[in-house]
Formats: sequence, C-alpha cells, structure tokens
Amino acid sequence: MYYTLFDFLTHTEGATYVLIGVFLIGFIGFWKFLTEREREE
Amino acid sequence: MSMSRRGFVGSLAVGAGALSSGAADAGTIEHFEGYPGRYGLLHDTTLCVGCRSCEVACAKVNALPEPKQPVGDLDVFETVRRSTTTAFTVVNRYQDGDDGNPPIYRKLQCMHCNEPCCAAVCLVHAFTKTPEGPILYDPEVCIGCRYCIMACPYYALSYEYDNPIDPQVLRCTMCYPRIKEGLNPGCADACPAGAITFGRREDLLMVARDRIRKFPDRYINHVFGEYEFGGTSWLMLAGIPFRELDLNEGVTHESLPAIGTSYLSVVPLIVTIYPGLLAAFYAFTKRKDTLAKRELEAALAEARVLGEEEMKAKLSHAAERAKKDKEKAVEVAVRKALAEQGEGGPS
Amino acid sequence: MSIATADSGRNGIFTPFNLITGAILLGGAIILTIRFTTGLASTTNLSDTNPWGLWIGFDVMAGVALAAGGFVISSAVFLFGMKEYQPVVRPALLTGFLGYALVVIGLLADLGRPWRLPYPFIKQAGPTSPLFEVSLCVALYLTVLFIETTPAVFEWLGLKWWRRLVAQLTIVLTIFGLILSTMHQSTLGAMFMVTPTKLHPLWYSSQIPVQFFVSAIAAGISMIIVEGWFSHRAFHHQVQISDDQFRDINFGLAKGGAVVLVTYLAVKVVALSLENEWRLLATGWGAWYLVELIGFVVTPCILFAVAYRERKLGLARVAAAMTVFGVVLNRFNVTFIAFNWQVPHEMRYAPAWTEVWVTVSLITFAVVVFRWIAHRMPIMYEHPDYPALH
Repeated sequence: MYYTLFDFLTHTEGATYVLIGVFLIGFIGFWKFLTEREREE
Repeated sequence: MSMSRRGFVGSLAVGAGALSSGAADAGTIEHFEGYPGRYGLLHDTTLCVGCRSCEVACAKVNALPEPKQPVGDLDVFETVRRSTTTAFTVVNRYQDGDDGNPPIYRKLQCMHCNEPCCAAVCLVHAFTKTPEGPILYDPEVCIGCRYCIMACPYYALSYEYDNPIDPQVLRCTMCYPRIKEGLNPGCADACPAGAITFGRREDLLMVARDRIRKFPDRYINHVFGEYEFGGTSWLMLAGIPFRELDLNEGVTHESLPAIGTSYLSVVPLIVTIYPGLLAAFYAFTKRKDTLAKRELEAALAEARVLGEEEMKAKLSHAAERAKKDKEKAVEVAVRKALAEQGEGGPS
Repeated sequence: MSIATADSGRNGIFTPFNLITGAILLGGAIILTIRFTTGLASTTNLSDTNPWGLWIGFDVMAGVALAAGGFVISSAVFLFGMKEYQPVVRPALLTGFLGYALVVIGLLADLGRPWRLPYPFIKQAGPTSPLFEVSLCVALYLTVLFIETTPAVFEWLGLKWWRRLVAQLTIVLTIFGLILSTMHQSTLGAMFMVTPTKLHPLWYSSQIPVQFFVSAIAAGISMIIVEGWFSHRAFHHQVQISDDQFRDINFGLAKGGAVVLVTYLAVKVVALSLENEWRLLATGWGAWYLVELIGFVVTPCILFAVAYRERKLGLARVAAAMTVFGVVLNRFNVTFIAFNWQVPHEMRYAPAWTEVWVTVSLITFAVVVFRWIAHRMPIMYEHPDYPALH
C-alpha cells in the first residue's frame, strides 16, 4: 500500500509510461494491418 | 494528507481561502495519510531567543564548519540569511524588538514535507520520504540538474557549485541516523529555551493546539505546516502573522506534487490520441490528392470525348448540309429541265 | 556531385566570418574548460536561490522553442498536404536538429554531473518528474530529427538504398515528431507549475503548458522566416525556386504566424481572466508583462497580418524577428526574471559575461555547422537524381 502520493505517483506514472510506449509501437503494426489491402492494389 | 487529481489543477489561493482537503471532488480521489507514527518537530517561535545553539549543534552533528558568525555576535541578524552548503540551518530575526516587545526569531531548515516536491520533480528519484519522516537524498544517482532547488518553496536546498567532480544537493536531514538510533535531532537537544520539540507529528499537533488553546493571546490561532502544500514535518507556532516570518500563509492545501504532476496525466492522452488523429489527417490529405487526381483525369477524358463528339457532330452536320445542298441543286436542275420541256422543247 | 559551388572563393581559411566565429568559439571553449575543471561557480552567477540562469533559460527553454520549426513545417507538408512549403522543409529540419543539439550541449554545460545525463533511462527513473518526460521526449525527438536530416546526407554521399529507406520513414517520423514536440514543448512550461509561490502570478498559470506550446509554434514559424532571410541570400546560387515562389512561402508563413500569435494572445488573456489578475497589470510587474505581451506578441501579430495583406516581405521579417525575441523574453521571464520575483534585490540573478559568451558560442557553433552542411548538401535545393520526398 502507498502511504504517500509521491510513492503512488511513482508507481502509476512509471507503469503508464511503459503502457503508452507499447501502444505507440503497437499502433504502427495495427495501422499496417488495417491498410494492408490498400497497399496491395 | 494529500490527494491526487486527474487532469485538473487547483489554483493558488492567495489570502484567506485555502482549499480544504475533503470537500471539493468526488470520484477517484485517493487519500494518502502518510506513514503513521512518523516524526516531526514543533518550533515555537514565541520561545526562541535567537541564541543559535541549534546552528552550532547542527554543524557539530553533520561535521560542518562552525558558523562563521560566532554565537553572541548580534550583527548576524542584520541580514536575512538562508541555509547553505555549510550551514543546514540558520536563525533569522524578523522583528527587532525596539518597540518594547521582545525580538522575534525563527529557525529555517528543510521542512521535510509530507509530500515533498523535491522528490516529485527529481528525474532520477534521488529523494525518498522515509517512514520515520525525514527525506533522504541519494548522491549516487543525482545528475545535478537542480530542479529540486528550483521547486522547493522554502528555499531549503543548496548546491555545491564550486565542486566540479561530485557536487551534491545539501540540506537538513532531520538527523536521520540519530533518529534511527533513538536519539533526538541535534538542534532539538541543543535548544535551551524549549523552542524545538521532537516527537511524533500527530502528538506534536496536539501539543501545538493545546498551547494555542491555553494561551490564546500569545499565539496566532494556526499551526503552520499542518496542511500547507500538503503539510510538513516541521510545525510552527507564532505570535505574529506567519507572513511576517517569511512564511507563505494561505497557500493551498493541495500538495505540490499533486499540482506539479497533475499535468502529466495529459501526456498519455496525447500519445494515445495523436496517432489515430494524425493518421486520419494524413489519410484525408492523401484522399484529397487522389480525388483531385481522379477528377483531373476524368475532366481530361471528358474533354477528349467531347472533342471527338463535337468533331463528329460538326462533320455529320456539314455532310448533311452538303447533302441538302446537293439535293437542292439537283431539284433546281430537274425543275429547270422540266420547265424547259414544258415550254417548247425540242419537237 | 554537388550543385553547390565552393566556399565563397576567397583564399585560405582566414575569412572575416571564420576569424570572428573562430574567436567566439575559442573563447567559449576556454570558458567551458574552466567550468569543467573548477565547477559552475567560477563561470556563472548561479546560486542556491537561483539555480537556473541563462544556460537553462536560453539554451534549454528558448532553444527548444526556437527549434520548433521542424515539426511545424514537416507536419504542414506531409500530414496536411501543404506541398507549396516543400522547399523550406529541409532548412527547417536542419535548424531543428541543430537547435536540439544545442540544447543538449547547453545542458551538458549546465548539469552538475553531465556525464550522468543518461541516468534517468539507465540507472533510475523518476517518472513523477516533468523533467523526466522532457528529457525522454528530447532524446527521442533528437533521434527523429537526426534521421529526418539524413536524406540530404545520403544524397550527398550517393547512398541511394539508404536514402530510399529513410524516405519511407517520413510519415511515421513526422507523426512521432509531432507527438513528441507537443509533449515536451508543453511540459517545459509545466515544469513551473510546481512553483506557484516563486513565479509571479502574471506568468504562473495552470495553462502555462498550452501557452508554451502555442508560442513554440509561433517561434518555429518565425525562425523559418528569419533563417530563410539569411540563407536565401547566402545560398542564392543554389536556390531553385523563383523569387515569387520564395515570397509566397514567406507570406504564407506570415499568415500562419499572425493566426498563431492571435491565438496565443487569446490564451494569455484567458489565463488573466480565469485568475482575475487584471489589477496586477497596474503594477510594475504588470507593466513589464505588458511590454512582453503588447510589444512582442500583439505588435508582431499585427505586422504579420499587414505584411501578408500588403505583400511586404521586409515587414514579415521584422515581425518574425520580434516574435523570436518575444518568445525568448517569455522564457527568460519564466526562468529567472519573473521567477523569484519576491526575493530581495541583492539576491536576484543576472547572467555573468561568461554565461553570455558560452551561449553566444553555442549559437555561433550552430550557425557554422548549418552553413557547412548547406554549402555541401542538398538543403536549399533538390538533388536532381532523387524524387521529392512524398
């Protein structure tokens, strides 16, 4: 359990950074998947 | 006690209005009470006589040089001092005592905030709030950016600018090693006037309120540090407005980390929304280009077709006219011939 | 290989330009040597009360804003299809890259332990810190800018395969760059949200991140105009676009500048209104605030608008210079002029001449490198062997 806001934020903001990093990289793959047929034309 | 806010930032309330910690928001608010039983110090400025024994003791305990201006030298109070890399605490005089009232002093040092903003702004997590209360600094990770010094509202941190090899951020440590051994901080032991009391913060709050209750004419009805910017380990009592002791009254109860980091909730929002949004803009742009190209080709094709058809129409029209002219000419010739035949013609 | 003609044709390396820049850079190198051997105290006026001064105020805060032209113009051309600005994309990206490189060098001079610069990523992270976010974004964006300037290098070196590879990355890099820029331009402002008692209320606002972001766009647009002002003359022999095309680009930028500045003005006025700070305008600090706002936001906004309407290039350039000055002034105010405004006079900060010299050296360094690259590589023109990017 977190006794201070500082400890809480350290944990949550750290985890969120990792999350959005994964999202950014994953988005590229997602976009490629979405527009694959367009590029085959 | 502190709260986290998502997205919206409270504003600084100057003057009387201070945001109370419980009232305003509903929903996802976490309450952080801090480590239970943590220590604090009570500084009763009405008892301080400006002897500066605390300065001497602090220097001794931290192996720092003795204060440059010796105890007893009253000239030192001519200027308002701040802590430095070699003096973690100083005592300032805020009222001369010329008007018959006794002079008023206050001791300055790191306030060991409940929610330290120095810790919140450090990009290498060099500061830690210990369960015992003191805030510790780790020189092994510090890169020397000095954001912590920028952020501290109490001007409590100092930096070794003359050190090119291993400069550190220095400040009062609340004598953490001594506390771990069960001793009191050096300043608390040294004070002969009882102006510094060491104990559990929750107990000291009761002591402070008790004194105010017992001697309402002596004290301003406020314990400074109880809630300011989320609250501090050093609590103050005073007989004059805290503003006159260079302490910012009326600041918000919201902790500086909450204020300073609430904006950071926008960052993930940008990362998650921009890709789709910008990909859409790019797709719109490409679509506009493709449509424009297609329209141009269609227009060209149409122009070509139109051109051909027009030519055909013109030709057939001309051919018909020529045909009609020819027919007419033939008709005229036939009539003429018939007329000639009718009139006489060859017998 | 290069269309560009050789350096000015003078004999030897002792041209006036080289002598002056050389002297500046030599002085800067000497000062920095003293700084690294004896500590920050010997070459700066920084103190416990004023931990950030000119090097943070200009090299970092203003530097990042002035380098914003890269993401602005690349987004305009590649994401919003404004192809008429293609000719200024490469100069703007080069300015951006050198600008951010300058930020990092300036930071290395200012940090107490600069060799520990990568620590937030390799040793221990402090994710609650806005500065952590800034350093992460700046590191990533510097990489993006670096890659975005490599096409010109590959064309210069004839590395066709490499050039084709990075060309394919243009859209992804542009989007990523816009994301990163939005974040760190704003967060540089957000760094001051934790100092409500130390930054004067006219500059302190919960909306300071938005203010920093919008003013960075204005600064970026203006820097493209200012950089073009000098480059167009210095590299005239390389430039392929017509004078009319060049003027059209500048007027388009002026139009954009006017719109961004009026937006910025509105954002600042809204901040005053939300905090009910009108009466503060009547104080001494209020007068100084109005100098920044009226003199270097409203005035260039009007000048940009008039320059666009009446097609006056000189006026647009003056407006651009004033905007750049205004953004720099704003960053100075936030970092050390309106910051610590309540501190007694004798403890206030003013930069030491050594700090000024180092800052000027860094700018000089960027100009010298820009010039070197633009003389040799296809920045001001399109290489005939390669198709235009996208």
